[in-house]
Amino acid sequence: MIDDLKENLIEYLVLFVAVIVFLVLFILFRFDKTSLLAISSLGSIFYIGWGIIHHMLRGRLTRLITTEYLLFGLLVFLLLFTVLNF
Amino acid sequence: MELENTKKVNFWRKNVKAIEKYQFMHHFLPHEEEQTRSKFLSNGAILLYCIFVFAVTATFRFLPKLVPGVLGYASNITISDLLAQTNQKRSEKGLSPLRLNSTLSEAAKQKAYDMFENDYWAHISPDGVEPWDFILGQGYDYIYAGENLAKNFSTSKQVVEGWYNSPTHKSNLLGANYDEIGLAVVNGTLNGYETTLVVQMFGRPRDRTQVASVIEEEGLLEEISVQEEVTEPIMGTQITVNPKEVEPTLDVTKVSRSMSLTFGGFVGSLLALDVWYSKKKGIKKFTGHTFAHLTVLLMVIVSIWFVFRPGLIL
Repeated sequence: MIDDLKENLIEYLVLFVAVIVFLVLFILFRFDKTSLLAISSLGSIFYIGWGIIHHMLRGRLTRLITTEYLLFGLLVFLLLFTVLNF
Repeated sequence: MELENTKKVNFWRKNVKAIEKYQFMHHFLPHEEEQTRSKFLSNGAILLYCIFVFAVTATFRFLPKLVPGVLGYASNITISDLLAQTNQKRSEKGLSPLRLNSTLSEAAKQKAYDMFENDYWAHISPDGVEPWDFILGQGYDYIYAGENLAKNFSTSKQVVEGWYNSPTHKSNLLGANYDEIGLAVVNGTLNGYETTLVVQMFGRPRDRTQVASVIEEEGLLEEISVQEEVTEPIMGTQITVNPKEVEPTLDVTKVSRSMSLTFGGFVGSLLALDVWYSKKKGIKKFTGHTFAHLTVLLMVIVSIWFVFRPGLIL
């Protein structure tokens, strides 16, 4: 895991900063469900994009990996969407 | 070497159960030889989780239309707490407290009744009735008036915090032009969900000598604290004014949160197991980054657990 972090330091830094930014946005807009839904969608799209670009840069992008990031992004969005819906 | 392999094959042949057990383990742990994640983390499994979560959410959306009142929102909201929280926010800003007025409270109650009876959630009813119509209808002659609405909240504190964090509702809450407040907490079925509506009305009477006194306010609060009015069902909906703790048949907030946290926790645990086991066994997999998935999933769990709260304001 540490080797993985060292190998992809810049990409992981981008991901960690984005996670913190999204968490701060969630806290700032915690009383506005419409904004929270928009932030959740953006977060999921960002993550799918991050995964695809990261693997593309290393020439390791396959259809399976693209599907994996699409499905994880979708799952993350659905988990947030379910709670925000009620 | 060949002898050893033959021995191995013979062992597995004789121990079918051991093979099954070994294979079952890979539902949770990554596969050393196939260099894949656990079966429960495969793309197919993640797709199934997505379909399941979506199906449950869709069911929660459509079920109330078929069977109204089964799903709902638990609440424990009282007028005395709402009044105390509102006046605390005002005192923090150096503003005078608002007095609870019985006429404004009756107008707020009528507004809540109207929303339940006509199944809407808005400041202006589908027939064009405005908040001021309810206030004037009760004979409250005002110079300034305002209205805040809330639904699906669990506690009085959450309701006031919700209003306080919205600029337009905050300006009502901290309005220097208001002397009095009317509050209604009413439970019923709205759009198929059992919920508690909170209506907050503000006013300054034309004749300021008419502002409710402390004694009048105390009397009103005492009356409200012992009284729980239950109406006859109107179009199949029973409406309760000043309800005590409300527990619906199925609390939709609790169920949706629990489901998301369970799925998030389950997938998160499998990802953590994947990171640990792959490191231990030196398994190199040609997949996406497990640690990245885990980081994003943790953000989701933290948000659901600590940040997201139920309730809508208008």
